[in-house]
Amino acid sequence: MVQPQDIKTYIETNLPCERVEVSGDGHHFEAIIVSHQFSGKSRVAQHQLVYQALGDRMRAEIHALSMRTLTPEQWAALGH
Amino acid sequence: MSVHDIIDQQVKGHPVVLYMKGSPDFPQCGFSANAVKILKACGVTDFYGVDVLQNPDIRQGIKEYANWPTIPQLYIKGEFVGGSDIMTELYQNGELKQMLA
Repeated sequence: MVQPQDIKTYIETNLPCERVEVSGDGHHFEAIIVSHQFSGKSRVAQHQLVYQALGDRMRAEIHALSMRTLTPEQWAALGH
Repeated sequence: MSVHDIIDQQVKGHPVVLYMKGSPDFPQCGFSANAVKILKACGVTDFYGVDVLQNPDIRQGIKEYANWPTIPQLYIKGEFVGGSDIMTELYQNGELKQMLA
């Protein structure tokens, strides 16, 4: 079964990120991804970058993934 | 007509289209149920729902159409808006209601 740590690794391997947090139970996952790559992109384009990083695993192994994408500036604005 | 053409006609032929698992009255997945709930909360009652579980070709085709691997998918005036997470964000910050106005 896929673990949250696996998803974190898949994303980090294929997308330069400042921060990736993944939680989940093996079926449903939630991720927060902070990346410079998101700057100036629409939400759709940001999520597409993450889906791209996950590639075929999104079809095969991962049934449900909720995600929130943030630029480093947006992350900092949240008080982090 | 190709699957791409069918989808093209659906999203351009209706102001609001939701590709989902199950029907608007009986969603078969939590994310699709959330999408329906958000549309209704925005005052949209007559959106065009497409149940991908009834049509495997559309289910596959819609993922390629928007380069988006998950369902639900929301289209407003022919434009792809996003999936469940983006709908939730746009609902919470008030943008979705404006887009639907």
